[in-house]
Amino acid sequence: MIISSIGQGMLWSMLGLGIFMTYRILGFPDMTTEGSFPLGGAVCVAAITAGVNPFLATLLGVLAGMCAGLVTGLLYTKGKIPVVLAGILVMSALNSVMLFVMKSPNLSLLNLPKIQDVFIPLNLPTNYDTVFIGLLAVAIVIGLMSLFFNTEFGQAYIATGDNESMAKSLGIHTERMTNVGLMISNGLIALSGALISQHDGYADVSKGVGTIVIGLSSIIIGEVLFGELSFFQRMLATVVGSIIYQLLILLVIRLGFDTTYLKFFSAVVLSLCMLIPQFKRALHLTTGFEKYFKKNDVVESSGKANA
Amino acid sequence: MSNENHQTSHGKALTATIIVIALILVGGFTYELGRRAGIKEASGGKATSQSVQSSAGSKDGMKRVGILQYVSHPALDQIHKGVVDELKKEGFVEGKNIQIFDQNGQADQSKLATMSEQLVNKKSDVLVGIATPAAQALANATTTTPIVLGAVTDPVAAGLVHDMKAPGKNITGVSDQPPVAAEIKLGKQLIPQAKTVGMLYASTEVNSKSQVETASKAAEALGLKVEKFPVPSTNEIAQTVQVMSDKCDFIYTPLDNTIANAMPTVTEEANKKGRPVINSVDTMVKQGGLATIGVNQYQLGIQTGKMAAQILKGKGKPATMPVYTFSTGDTIINKEQAQHFGITIPADLQKNAKLVTTEVGKQ
Repeated sequence: MIISSIGQGMLWSMLGLGIFMTYRILGFPDMTTEGSFPLGGAVCVAAITAGVNPFLATLLGVLAGMCAGLVTGLLYTKGKIPVVLAGILVMSALNSVMLFVMKSPNLSLLNLPKIQDVFIPLNLPTNYDTVFIGLLAVAIVIGLMSLFFNTEFGQAYIATGDNESMAKSLGIHTERMTNVGLMISNGLIALSGALISQHDGYADVSKGVGTIVIGLSSIIIGEVLFGELSFFQRMLATVVGSIIYQLLILLVIRLGFDTTYLKFFSAVVLSLCMLIPQFKRALHLTTGFEKYFKKNDVVESSGKANA
Repeated sequence: MSNENHQTSHGKALTATIIVIALILVGGFTYELGRRAGIKEASGGKATSQSVQSSAGSKDGMKRVGILQYVSHPALDQIHKGVVDELKKEGFVEGKNIQIFDQNGQADQSKLATMSEQLVNKKSDVLVGIATPAAQALANATTTTPIVLGAVTDPVAAGLVHDMKAPGKNITGVSDQPPVAAEIKLGKQLIPQAKTVGMLYASTEVNSKSQVETASKAAEALGLKVEKFPVPSTNEIAQTVQVMSDKCDFIYTPLDNTIANAMPTVTEEANKKGRPVINSVDTMVKQGGLATIGVNQYQLGIQTGKMAAQILKGKGKPATMPVYTFSTGDTIINKEQAQHFGITIPADLQKNAKLVTTEVGKQ
């Protein structure tokens, strides 16, 4: 069960990384997420149903997500529609797109090929197919993202997020950056949707509800637990945050709370996570991690105490 | 404070966490491999589902029938099909002397009101509401046009009729209240060693809650311990079923739209742990559930269609037509799943039960 949650956490982490691209770097909340997530699943599952190879189908899902991101971007940059509204518009439109693509609100994948079927010949223990798919996807995505951020283009993208007017004055096409960012972001989110749909065995139009919270949670948990990190580490922290979020959900269910109020409990857990830095500051406490590293790293802990 | 040192230390925390996760994964992996050497585990048979496309209406003709369906899933689509087929049998041929207007809310409750208004505006002679939210939306839209309920579990609790025997207003129809107690009994019969039953249902559906209450009473009367697991949406089902599988000997699902949509996930996760699922609908058994005593959804549709036809022919008025409730149901067992769980079907059940297999295929 823990294994399964870790695997699912990895699949969901693509969503966190996608939101990271827009929310953390460009600094705006992209509501397209709740539409592009199930869209990725819908396109992928519909393609598989039509006989397309699962890998290609997943890629098609990603492309669909990128198109959705581009539409949001154009509405925002060219149409001057506020970005939250543009995202919501695209999100709600995608609901119909999905119904059109799937011809049903719910499309099952069982007995059809799935991406994790490549592991069947290996006869892995239960749930490890998910883990390996997750690892593979995370490795590819983080690898590509690292490459991207190290290019001149990627640096210009970060600069746009840091200070748009300054970036503009340096001759960076900030509108293009925004569009590209939204495309990559929604492509990643759709990838997550496609992988989760294949894991769950079906695509559903209502699968996107609440996903933005899941994505933000993974980013925030990662940030709160691990603090300031290098760029590469921040991406890893998002993946770890996503895994921790899934484990927390598992814990809440496991502890036997009335799951009718699951969303409330997960909100409480998440709020507590986010309050940790405040508590630490107020009570001059250190977390277990810092205690552990105190021995090796005296400079850091004394610095912390003075902070 | 040295920022660089600060970063390194947090980087270490991150690395440590990743190492812990990696250790859990590797540990679990070796443990599973070791365990497998001991036990040869049967791989989980995967369930399947099949969406039945609902037929669309066409134009021309005298009488008008408006059908509002809450969402498409195999069970509701079967009802829809039953309604249309029975109308045809009663002499209402689409395109000749009847016009059928179809609306499907696709689970978006905010759309149902507009759809209902649209159907009323088309001057329908009879409205058919499939599933509670749809029926409620129709009831909100008109107090004069006759409404026939298809698949509403508790029309009185849903505020649709005053009395099951004499509805009193413009609404009557068919209740799909499944024989819940009998289903629990069937579960106990098939899995005699069971001590705990887990109830899986959507926290957002009123119908499910009342069924689960009835089922819980029935289970407790049989000496079973009851654990309830309401889920907020389809995204939490995989993990909930994983948790349930550890705590319960078998899983019971009432007639529930959310669970019906996610039945593939339910069976897949339950199969992994070898936990049978007892359902309330035959279509869910065909998606990999173990058994049910079910009112056939198609039959339900036929009955709904019959009532609609009666009203169209002027042979009855909703106010005086009692709400139809099925008193018995068919025992339906998925023999493939029974085999998978190593369950031998008792002889008396074997005689009367309808044996089905998982539809579309297996893993």
